[in-house]
Amino acid sequence: MAKQIIDKNLQRPKKSKAARRNLFNGLLFASPWILGFIVFTVYAISASLYYSFCRYDILTPPHWIGMKNYTRLLTDDVIFMHSLWNTMYMVIFGLPIGLVLSLALSLLLNIKVKGISIYRAIFYIPTLVPAVALATLWMWLLNTDIGLVNVLLSKIGIAGPGWLNDPAWAKPALIMMGLWGIGGSSIIYLAGLQNIPDHLYEAAELDGANSYHKLRHVTLPMLSPIIFFNLIMGLIGSFQYFTQVYIMTNGGPQDSTLFYALYLFNRAFVDLKMGYASAMAWILFAITLVCTLLVFKTSAKWVYYEGHTNE
Amino acid sequence: MRYSRYILLFFILVALSGCSGHQGKMPVEITYWTGWSGHEFEIQKGLVDRFNAGHKNIHVKILSVFGSYQKVTIAFAGGDTPDVLSAVWAEQLAGYAMRGALTPLDSYLAASKRKPDEWSPGIWNMLQYKGHTYGMAATTNATFIAYNKQIFREAGITRLPQTIAELDDAAAKCTKYDANHRFIRYGFRPSGLASWAYVFGGKWYDQKTGKITANDPHNVQALQWMASYAKKYDIRKMQGFESTFGSAESVSGPFFVGKIGMWQCGEWVEQFTKRYAKDLDWGYFPLPYPPGGRPKSMTLGGSVFVIPSDCKNKKEAWEFLNWICGPEAVSDFCKGIGNVPPLRAVAGSPRFTKSPLFAFAGNLVSSENAFGPPQMPVWRTYMDQIVRAEDFAVLGGRDPKKMLDDVQKIMEQEMTDATEVL
Repeated sequence: MAKQIIDKNLQRPKKSKAARRNLFNGLLFASPWILGFIVFTVYAISASLYYSFCRYDILTPPHWIGMKNYTRLLTDDVIFMHSLWNTMYMVIFGLPIGLVLSLALSLLLNIKVKGISIYRAIFYIPTLVPAVALATLWMWLLNTDIGLVNVLLSKIGIAGPGWLNDPAWAKPALIMMGLWGIGGSSIIYLAGLQNIPDHLYEAAELDGANSYHKLRHVTLPMLSPIIFFNLIMGLIGSFQYFTQVYIMTNGGPQDSTLFYALYLFNRAFVDLKMGYASAMAWILFAITLVCTLLVFKTSAKWVYYEGHTNE
Repeated sequence: MRYSRYILLFFILVALSGCSGHQGKMPVEITYWTGWSGHEFEIQKGLVDRFNAGHKNIHVKILSVFGSYQKVTIAFAGGDTPDVLSAVWAEQLAGYAMRGALTPLDSYLAASKRKPDEWSPGIWNMLQYKGHTYGMAATTNATFIAYNKQIFREAGITRLPQTIAELDDAAAKCTKYDANHRFIRYGFRPSGLASWAYVFGGKWYDQKTGKITANDPHNVQALQWMASYAKKYDIRKMQGFESTFGSAESVSGPFFVGKIGMWQCGEWVEQFTKRYAKDLDWGYFPLPYPPGGRPKSMTLGGSVFVIPSDCKNKKEAWEFLNWICGPEAVSDFCKGIGNVPPLRAVAGSPRFTKSPLFAFAGNLVSSENAFGPPQMPVWRTYMDQIVRAEDFAVLGGRDPKKMLDDVQKIMEQEMTDATEVL
């Protein structure tokens, strides 16, 4: 059916009356989204690009200052550099830990045992909790003295650290907290796992492969598109890390959790430096883009798509 | 990018809930946004109802924007502001005034025969920017030190600390360790560099020259002194001990159970002790000061009432503002929420002075050494930088001088940026 329509269009580049009406109706039905997209996304993004070259406090009209915001950010703002480092820390340490553990969890959840769907549901449930509620909950769990984490640690004779009060432990605490939500990516892995045909494992077994071999040479290659997807999403998510620290620490102690997006938000809405904040947003966009492209570049080496051959 | 969508969402919310022009003859509807919430909001609302009942020509509609203060900024940006706002912090006043977002109140004040000396001098100062009055205040708070009399007796302290040296001495005497050298109690831990700098004779901004004075030697001294507590008592140990503190607003508050000997607090502590520690034997004294420092010094702040420039019903807005910040409403509101009245006549009235603590607090607030936010447009950012310097020096052990030099450099730049805009 679809093929026929395409062929028809190819034969007759000029659209018929009916086709034009169809197009018009289609656009009409899509118009709420198109309008919303233009006003709330296209306009907002273009405006922020323009403002990034301005000094703009939102109360008085923007004032063009050229590259000043960018040069200041990149050469003269130590807090900016610090916030960038904090964010990179989450990307470098938090992201891989999350990816590995959610993969491990999905492997566990793929084992065929009785009641497995209940386990799957249990691990998925935390991701349904809104980020704000989660942050508030973890503030209690991580309380130095009465928090559940330290109480449990003390049961096995470990004096827990100050977590969110200690600059050395605040970021690890947030990473730990992030693991609470790995159920989301585990579900995606799980879908991928179930798509791996049994005959591959059977063939491997016939060749004498043990569990490690099967994981290394069947599961991981077959799962690589999913790992790739989770890596990209996790990368973008890590660069945008905001809600939890906005609620829990507001950047403290001693700037140890002042992440890029939080510093950006503070510059924009506390200091009313919208131009400066817009420049920050575009730098973040550039960084995220470069990192994503780099990952894409390497993907040819390790991501395997069934039916495609790597050249 | 996600946040730009929220911003626009706010615009819509503001447009939906903001003030709309009035049509017809009567009564004029005034929208009023406040930041008070809970029982404080209820008391403020009661006052608004009383105003409405007594003024047939005006109807004031009150809305709490507690928890969404950004809405205020965005309302200003969109030019769709309420007629009267009390959800503006004192430290934001100059920034808004500089950018022309507020109505100068001078002519209204004169027409209503209200005089600057009705307010405590520090309060009046914080309502000014470049020679004009831009706001009114209905509440304020005092800062002082409360002490546990029982602990002072045990420690053999007979004279209330008046100097920093005496305070340090009292703090040391109140401090008690167990056999493993863990805290049972500590005497005192200073906080709030913005205030202590004034106590040490320093300043943050020179009104006359328009210069930032973050690394004023007295400010550095104040921060060095604060950091000395972190060294002397081992800040990690202090923090560990503090993590066992219950909420100050509970029966297990550290001051109520004797885990600290002295507490830097405000007049609100009276309601707390009444509620959580009825039998506590406690007293209070002003912040002690070093040689060359300032006696009875503290910082003022809080919410201010303003009329945005875009207000369409200024005459009616002023009539309401003048009433809600007038003696009757201020007296009832401060009494209701347990704050110090910024109006001298009210603070000095028997209704407040019959409580010795409120007589004391009222006296502190009207001291010539009580300072509000300086009349500069970037004080909000400045405060964050001061807190940051304090954190790094006290908790992180960084050099106080170096930290304040950094603040100086950052704030000079911020000041140039802010003033270059216009």
